[in-house]
Amino acid sequence: MKTKSIVLVASFIMLISAAFVSPFEKLVSQKTHISFFSSTPVEDITADNYKATSTLDTSTGDLVFSVPMQSFEFEKALMQKHYNGKDFLDTKSFPKSKFVGKITNLDQVDFTKDGTYEASVSGEMTIKGVTNSVDEKGTILVKGGRVAAESTFDLTLADYGINFKNGKPASNIAKTIEITFKGEY
Amino acid sequence: MKKFKWLKPVLIAFTATAVIGLAVVAYLLNMPHRDIQSSQTDYAISANLLVEEFLASSDTAYEKYLDEAGESKILEVEGEVYEISKDFNEQTVVLLKTTDKEAGVSCTFLPSEIDFGQHLKVGQKIKVKGVIRSGANYDADLEMYEHVIMEKCDLVTNI
Repeated sequence: MKTKSIVLVASFIMLISAAFVSPFEKLVSQKTHISFFSSTPVEDITADNYKATSTLDTSTGDLVFSVPMQSFEFEKALMQKHYNGKDFLDTKSFPKSKFVGKITNLDQVDFTKDGTYEASVSGEMTIKGVTNSVDEKGTILVKGGRVAAESTFDLTLADYGINFKNGKPASNIAKTIEITFKGEY
Repeated sequence: MKKFKWLKPVLIAFTATAVIGLAVVAYLLNMPHRDIQSSQTDYAISANLLVEEFLASSDTAYEKYLDEAGESKILEVEGEVYEISKDFNEQTVVLLKTTDKEAGVSCTFLPSEIDFGQHLKVGQKIKVKGVIRSGANYDADLEMYEHVIMEKCDLVTNI
């Protein structure tokens, strides 16, 4: 009788833990790289950020990332100051940017099988307190049970209330910049 | 020739102004990044207290620690090593957090000859100097706590 109950309890525990290690779970990535690239005839500007946090729910396709805006590093100190300032990203008032979205073609992504999958992502991006809908493409890489995501897309600064009417910024910063995201979950 | 006597000081003044102006522009364009490690520390605080400050009132804490031009406060934070990792830029990242807390302080280290991954041990108490980038908070979309973020860090205490 006693052994029977032990077996029962043991199998119950195994069942529960099996449920927890199933591939359908919320993955967290704190190893990320976000960069942006602005190109004009006058100059090219890039900035890098390695401190974003992202979650990916492999059962629902929910994809979130949160980006600490002051972590963008520029080559030139003056550019970084301008970027952080009130007229540009106002990072003191809006210290984080966020994307909340979903992988819309989840049926075409198999998180349990090694491979490279094209993912369609749609959701809402909030930068400097302004939210816009975005639909972008990305790549999901599954290798040995590890999941990584990559995406490159364009972002129009004016959509987020970042406008340069005149002066140096208007000629040196592109109206549309290229964002690259990479994350290991 | 004599009637152009006034020209000399004007020319000198003009040249001097132009040289100074160009020097200022050149300086601004090539202004070096702030050297965090040789700058003065603004606040010394424990990792847990720093997290608490942000969780208690994020507005007050952001007002206190963040700078409008991105030159935010330089902190010396004391805490327990919870996790050591590397980021995509091959920089060492040390999370200062105690096991009973949900959020800690994530410190990205400057390149160093010391291999922190080898020298630091989980549970070890250390003091780290760096610049704060963002605060701790519970994020309902991520469904998790986000750590305080510090960068350009180095160890204050010897290892």
